Amino acid sequence: MYFLTEEEKKHLLKGLLPRSRELGIAEELRGWNWPAPPLQPVYDTVLALYEVANSYCPTNRDLYLRRVRRVFPAPSAAMVQGRVLHAALVHVLVSAKRLIYSVGVAQYQTICRELQELGPVNVESELQALAPEDAADLKRKVAIVTEFEKARIISRIQEILFKQPYIGEDSLAVLAIPVIVEQKLDGSFLGLSPNLSTDAFTVCEPMIVDLKFGERRDFHRLTTTGYALVMESLYEFPVNIGCLVYGSFRGDRLIINKDLHIIDDELRQWFIESRDEKARMVYEEIDPGFPAECYQGCHCYAACHG
Amino acid sequence: MMLKVSDVKQFLYCPRVVYFTYVMPVHRKVTRKMEYGKEEHLEIERLERRRGFRSYDLSEGERRYRTKLCSERLGVEGVLDMHIVCGSGCFPVEFKNTSRHPGLNHKYQLVCYAMLLEEQYGKPVRHGFLYLIPGKRVHVVEITPNARTFVRKTLDQIKMMIARESFPPAPRRPARCFECEYRNYCADVV
Repeated sequence: MYFLTEEEKKHLLKGLLPRSRELGIAEELRGWNWPAPPLQPVYDTVLALYEVANSYCPTNRDLYLRRVRRVFPAPSAAMVQGRVLHAALVHVLVSAKRLIYSVGVAQYQTICRELQELGPVNVESELQALAPEDAADLKRKVAIVTEFEKARIISRIQEILFKQPYIGEDSLAVLAIPVIVEQKLDGSFLGLSPNLSTDAFTVCEPMIVDLKFGERRDFHRLTTTGYALVMESLYEFPVNIGCLVYGSFRGDRLIINKDLHIIDDELRQWFIESRDEKARMVYEEIDPGFPAECYQGCHCYAACHG
Repeated sequence: MMLKVSDVKQFLYCPRVVYFTYVMPVHRKVTRKMEYGKEEHLEIERLERRRGFRSYDLSEGERRYRTKLCSERLGVEGVLDMHIVCGSGCFPVEFKNTSRHPGLNHKYQLVCYAMLLEEQYGKPVRHGFLYLIPGKRVHVVEITPNARTFVRKTLDQIKMMIARESFPPAPRRPARCFECEYRNYCADVV
């Protein structure tokens, strides 16, 4: 799901990359300037990145409930679905890498066969939290994602092998699956959790990738922005591009849309403002009040409205 | 209410400047730096009249100075230092007396002027220029959709601050307060 199509590659290489380099990001908004304002954290409250980036609740009362009132409502069906489908994808990508290293290039047919036979990730424990019909639907979706990703990786392995006769395991793994999944990052410099985890990070051009199953929302770009800032704070190289991968299902078909974007000054400022505003809410224990309208399926609804 | 383009710049530098302008007007001391800035602007304007367009990466065009721009829709007005009109469009130019990299507040002031020019000419403005007087350098600013959104959001924030008469927090960069003409009124920072 993370691999770009030919058109997306063209859009990235001819459009976004040159523009991102020309655009120029304000130096004060680069992650490596974390010791100075505006990046320097104001409060010593540590937030998870999703807590800064997510704004499903218009007043962010979900954050107040969790962090101040210590109320932890059970995750909604959509949240469980997202978590399970993420796990399904990670399972395929990591298994494929493992197979390449353990079997070796010489027996590439074994890699392809074993990958073809790879079963979906075991998510029985997660499914218990769902209604039977939701569980069955999610199981079906896990199978679709798994089959889709297996086919893509096998085709990429074969494509690389016919082009590179002298390739070794390490290079094959990087070329066929050029992403690091669940990359762990320490966000402490920016007042974020020391145990962050980005969905995927591409190594060829530093690009943060985040997978979403659900409706497209404008604040989703804050997730890629936050990880880009953290990457810059840790490794001191510029991270200019983000990619949101939206997966949806039409019957038995997986539909994928990508939102490739530049992590520009405005997104960076939005992220920092959001961090400061939410850190203040937690630090000062400010109840932001109820939104005018609660969103459908909010897992905090019962906690807010009794 | 009608805001000024410079309010965007000031608000992003320190929101209290805008507060002291609209909510609690106080006597503002004109500093030497402000007078010097005005003189510099006149001088650069005189020099610009004799120059070509190479530094703006344009082959030809017409310079227009101190244009009054206004938008009822955005609720903002201002006087733009200069703009260039040519076949490929029009481009706002703001003169800035800084030897450092232009600040974000300068960038969004220019974006706001670009939005006003768009309304004046009915054409999209893709780029603007910040002319940095000390080094005679031209800094290109791309007018992106996100930058326009940011300016609209900032205008809304200013209007809300004025409507609620809420005193904003002090800027987190204390260095900004040293040469501020409102320094005497910010008892909590100085």
